[in-house]
Amino acid sequence: MKKQYILIILAAIMMASVISCTQTGGNKVLIITGQGDHDWQTSSDAVKQILDETGLFSSKILLTPSKGEDMSGFKPNFSKFKLVVIDYEGDAWPEATDAALMDYLNNGGGVVLYNAKSDPGISVSEKVTTTERHSYEIRTRATDHPVTRGLPGRWLHPDDVIVQGLKPSVDDVKVLATAYSDSTKGGSGKPEPVMVAMNSGQGRIFATMIGLPGGEENQALHCAGSIVTLQRGAEWAATGAVTQEVPSDFPTAAAAVLRPDFKAITTEDAFRMIADYDIQKSTRYYTYLKDQLSKAAGDEQKLLSLEQQMVKVLKNDAATAESKKLMLRELSWMGSGNCIQAIKDLVAVEGLKDEAEFALERLGQ
Amino acid sequence: MSNKSSRRDFLRRSVAIAAGAFVIPEIIPSSVLGMGGGIAPSDRVVLGAIGTGSQGMANMRDFLRLKNAVRFVAVCDVDSDRLNRAKEVVDKANSSQDCRTYSDFREFLEKEKPDAVSIALPDHWHGIIYTAAVNKKLNVYGEKPICRTINDGQTIVAAVKKNNIIWQTGSWQRSQAHFHRGAELAINGRAGKISKIVVGLPDGGRTIGTPPAKEVPPELNWEMWLGPAPKVPYRGVSHWDWRWILDYSGGQLTDWAGHHIDIANWGAGLEYTGPVEISGKGVYPPEGIYNAPVEYDFMCRYANGIEMRVANASRLEHGMGTTWYGDLGWIHTDRGNVLTASKPEILQEVIGENETHLYKSENHWQNFVDSVKSGSQAIAPIEPAYRAISVALLGEMAMTTGETIKWDPEKEEIIGNPRAARLLSRPYRKPWTLPTV
Repeated sequence: MKKQYILIILAAIMMASVISCTQTGGNKVLIITGQGDHDWQTSSDAVKQILDETGLFSSKILLTPSKGEDMSGFKPNFSKFKLVVIDYEGDAWPEATDAALMDYLNNGGGVVLYNAKSDPGISVSEKVTTTERHSYEIRTRATDHPVTRGLPGRWLHPDDVIVQGLKPSVDDVKVLATAYSDSTKGGSGKPEPVMVAMNSGQGRIFATMIGLPGGEENQALHCAGSIVTLQRGAEWAATGAVTQEVPSDFPTAAAAVLRPDFKAITTEDAFRMIADYDIQKSTRYYTYLKDQLSKAAGDEQKLLSLEQQMVKVLKNDAATAESKKLMLRELSWMGSGNCIQAIKDLVAVEGLKDEAEFALERLGQ
Repeated sequence: MSNKSSRRDFLRRSVAIAAGAFVIPEIIPSSVLGMGGGIAPSDRVVLGAIGTGSQGMANMRDFLRLKNAVRFVAVCDVDSDRLNRAKEVVDKANSSQDCRTYSDFREFLEKEKPDAVSIALPDHWHGIIYTAAVNKKLNVYGEKPICRTINDGQTIVAAVKKNNIIWQTGSWQRSQAHFHRGAELAINGRAGKISKIVVGLPDGGRTIGTPPAKEVPPELNWEMWLGPAPKVPYRGVSHWDWRWILDYSGGQLTDWAGHHIDIANWGAGLEYTGPVEISGKGVYPPEGIYNAPVEYDFMCRYANGIEMRVANASRLEHGMGTTWYGDLGWIHTDRGNVLTASKPEILQEVIGENETHLYKSENHWQNFVDSVKSGSQAIAPIEPAYRAISVALLGEMAMTTGETIKWDPEKEEIIGNPRAARLLSRPYRKPWTLPTV
């Protein structure tokens, strides 16, 4: 059903008349799943966690009838939701349901097509295939689109397939990111879109082809890049804008990054982990702190608030010497008068004397 | 030539004996040679090398390729394997066993008196060793970037000026015909009045995570390798890969600033000034010992209105290299003999007699040797090198602080931002300090 379904959606977008229907309240999300080639139980549950994690959404999962069962009663009330996520490949829905979805879009609703690989919303005619699972580099193509603005230009994505043979069927499909589809992995030997956005009339569709469940430890699904782009794509589809910052653990060309529990690093987590810092364990919480200092962009209040946490690490007897060295290093340039005494107290501590003196020197003490 | 060398060797031995074992002067006082000053044009320039890793050896080979131009007499490195390899190369070139070896640059500078020294070290050592060498009045062929911090750079520039030595930066692109041609077309307005420059430098590399601490190999003096940088355990990361760690370098950005930003400045008349406003963003690896930015993208505004964007190449239309944009078009130049323009006619333009003619050199190392002999400035003097790396270091500051940095290129000061101003220097680990000029 999906191919026809998308054709209809696209037709609807193109014909969309300007009917506005402002929705207020929280961003309620309907995740539709129930049939598909991949492990949709795992992916739909993950999508719910990933979206709700942002604090922007409140998601519920709706299961369709199973394959071959009577679909006639499947008539969700889309208009109650700010966003509809479709993690579904299977039997056709009733015509009235497709029509209702079209109305929903026409009226400014948002749709996310999550890994509907056989029909991700931009292909209507080509034969769609996938590569074998492998790790590959994704190139951010649209630097001026809300979903991808500020993302690294190149980043590694682990153990996923690349969907190929997709062909934009309407002109206003915006390719947000691509991946080179390696012919030695069963690929097409050219860049393939992995993330697209359609913005036409009042409706917005975000389609992502990455983050397919399966493979070793569901790495593709747990990739921080899959997670963050889904969160951003969902916000854009729901609201037309993206307010979420690009997190410090977004993967780069240097390495893929996994979030085992889908969760972003919080300031509270970061300082708890920093106190236990050992370079051998992880550097990501220190990277988070440096990113926060940069994001503060000179805002005195934000810097003072971070400084307060950093001074707590200096004063924490249980914190590692290495963690204190890192705090001293950062405080040495961004510290205010508030950190001076705590630093002076460390001059007498074996192993921290030099770092404490360096910091005081830089702070003009 | 050989007669002169023999005479010099004889004189050198005589003077050495007279002066005792600790001073081995290589510069023959001009009065002895009966000349007005400098080195006799037919003499070989006597060289020492500090830092004999990959770049140091590449430079040594480039010097040795010159016909009868130089004679290396001493080498210095903190890795004894590399030091011994360098000695082998020198001894072979000299058909002797005389090349002296040092594991400590201080001893080298105390005992050796060559005409010039070729220095290629990790960036965190540049401030101390360049300044120390220049303070000894040695002419220097120094690798870019010339400093890890702006404060280091200012000190080196001041030392070079005060001691009036010949300095050549390893920004060898200046001595390649197509870069010279591109810069000369740009500075003479063949793309029109320049309003924008885009500089593409390499994207960052991959991570290695954090390797476990391990025993320092016997050939490496790890303490001396670290020098003024923070004390850390050896993890098998030292030679070459230091450039991915912020304690020693700024990654591809600072590694390449001395090439394409230098060329950009050269072709836009900006080599003796700096930007007034800098802002931008970097992408840092979330995890691992390598922490230099793998992507970077920042904008510099100059007092004359020119805007220079510096970014990793994969973000840019023309990728790597320098592109000058003016109201008549653009000119792009890069390695691999790349010189292109928005209109092919631009590249056919002749530069008239009364227009600006940039310093011409056909061989970067020969140019240094010639300059040492003649006492005239080399093609890549110290201040343009400092100005080129300053752009990258100011960009690094903008990315670290997240702020728009205001810079006074005349006074060389950060304006109105004490936090950013602290980043103009890095504290040195004791007992190391930046030498005074």
